Amino acid sequence: MIRQTLMEAAGNLLAAWQRSLLALLGIVVGAGAVISMLHAGAMARNETIRQFRQMGTDTLILRADSTQGMGNFRLGDIESVPGNVPLVREIAPFMIGGGPIQHEGQVRNAGYLGVTGNFSDVARIPVAQGRFLNAFDRFELFAVLGSDLAEQLSTPFEPIRPGSRIRVGRYVFEVVGVLAPVLQNPMMPVDINGTLFLSIPNARRVMAVAALSMAVARMVPEGDPNLATQQLQQHLGPGMRDSTLNVMSARQLIEGMNQQVRLVAMLLGAVGSIALVLGGVGVMNIMLMSVAERKREIGIRLAIGARRADVRRLFLLEALILSGLGAVLGVLLGFLGAFGFAWMSGWQVSFSPIAGPLGAGVSLAVGVFFGFYPAVMAARLDPIEALRSE
Amino acid sequence: MLELRGITKTFRIGPTERTVLHDLDLDIASGELCSLMGGSGSGKTTFMNIVGLLDKPTQGSYRINGEDVLGAKADALSRLRGRLIGFVFQQFFLMPRLNAWRNVALPLMYRGVAEAEAKRKACAMLERVGLGAHTEHKPSMLSGGQKQRVAIARALVGDPAILLADEPTGALDPTVSREIMDLFIEMNRDLNVLVLIITHDPGVAARCRRRLELVKGRLATQEKLAA
Ligand SMILES: Nc1ncnc2c1ncn2[C@@H]1O[C@H](COP(=O)(O)OP(=O)(O)OP(=O)(O)O)[C@@H](O)[C@H]1O
Ligand SMILES: [Mg+2]
Repeated sequence: MIRQTLMEAAGNLLAAWQRSLLALLGIVVGAGAVISMLHAGAMARNETIRQFRQMGTDTLILRADSTQGMGNFRLGDIESVPGNVPLVREIAPFMIGGGPIQHEGQVRNAGYLGVTGNFSDVARIPVAQGRFLNAFDRFELFAVLGSDLAEQLSTPFEPIRPGSRIRVGRYVFEVVGVLAPVLQNPMMPVDINGTLFLSIPNARRVMAVAALSMAVARMVPEGDPNLATQQLQQHLGPGMRDSTLNVMSARQLIEGMNQQVRLVAMLLGAVGSIALVLGGVGVMNIMLMSVAERKREIGIRLAIGARRADVRRLFLLEALILSGLGAVLGVLLGFLGAFGFAWMSGWQVSFSPIAGPLGAGVSLAVGVFFGFYPAVMAARLDPIEALRSE
Repeated sequence: MLELRGITKTFRIGPTERTVLHDLDLDIASGELCSLMGGSGSGKTTFMNIVGLLDKPTQGSYRINGEDVLGAKADALSRLRGRLIGFVFQQFFLMPRLNAWRNVALPLMYRGVAEAEAKRKACAMLERVGLGAHTEHKPSMLSGGQKQRVAIARALVGDPAILLADEPTGALDPTVSREIMDLFIEMNRDLNVLVLIITHDPGVAARCRRRLELVKGRLATQEKLAA
């Protein structure tokens, strides 16, 4: 019986395939939007996790701001932090600048970072060749290059490697190390891969404005970023004269980003839900039309022994097939949308495990919900009225 | 077998009331072959709808095999209809997308008969009405007479006690009409099913043993011919 009803329902839909397609469209778009939204949300979450995995979520970035722009830390104050601020384990101050770099006729503009020897440890940047700067070569003209910058300055005959010589301003530096490529970190003010690293005294020589205005710090495991910020304010604040201290924590940043992602996801979800409801209304519309057109058929069925439940089942099944098909196509569209989203954002493709089942379930539910009324209308028809109608 | 007493049917159209059937009394025994004639609008179809449990009279009582059927609920009526009554209509009313045997099997499906069994019975019934070679044909591939044969097979497949036909030959030419009438007579004889045929054709009515005539909602003639 169910099989026969299924066959008949499918046959009826096929016979009015243009109309069925139209009803399908709404469901497909709605389900697709909801599903790709869930996938995009999952990707965004994965992406933030990935970005912070390398640098860690226990990172703090300190910035000195003054009314004129960049403020100034005192090197001694910063260096005394690990012993005096309980929640901060390590800290590395740095200054930011930039300008042209020459090597074997190649010229590139790049950012300079004036750093202390522990910077690569604190910021967790691995060295690919040679070594990082250290405390003993503060006044030597040594330099370390980010991976992209090293590649850009290389020539086929003279690749950048430890021992290469590069010219920065009036000085010739010896390259002592090249860094491994690292992921972009949203907390870092520069692209590490495209940066030249110098010691702080050398940086003062080549930078137009030499302000020790930033520091990267690492908290003790499971440290509370808000408390650490408070402690840092207490320790550094008094020595900063006209500058103010600004502390940014990875966790706050992640939280902020997650909130943004949630907002966008909610927006997409709302759009998807509206599309689904519209799809449902489309299904209802089509089913009502179909009931009106097939009155006589309903009358015949009732006359030859169909019960009202049989008629209801037939029409409900038609709605269910429509929304089921819509759900399947919607899941496909959702995955396509997810791929498209990943392609556009450059994020790694990953899928939310609940998206498919949830999207499909919701669209089925919508189909049943909106298919119910027309099915009940069909089952309530008076057989004589139905038989008399043309 | 059928016992109708004081059947009155009144339709309300807005403020006006219109009585289509006036106080009809009628008994029909099982296995009878009756014709029902009458002018257009005399209430034949209305009467048949009541006999076929598709409609209820405004007044009166109706018993089938001594059982009062007017008190039954919609679903119980559906079941009674499915078990007791077969319908044949002037316009055949076949499902256009189902082939012949599926059309015939439909009443069985609604009774919960398994598909294989339903198919077997439907094909056997099609064989009986002379369409053994057309079981897989869709209605659109059949002639009018063949469609009406399918409809008759559908009406009879559930082994009903009553076969109601509303102008079954109205859409057919005289030759085919005669063949269909032959089939009704044959089925009435072989299956001992009560047959009530509404018709405008005196030739058709003349072949029925009992002839009823409605005039303006009243039974005018109830003649019975000797066998
Ligand atoms: N649902 C209804 N509402 C109002 N009036 C109706 C309804 N059904 C039938 N009638 C009226 O009842 C009268 C009898 O109708 P019925 O269909 O029984 O006639 P009939 O004898 O079958 O006629 P015909 O030979 O043309 O088929 C007609 O005048 C018709 O207009
Ligand atoms: Mg009529």
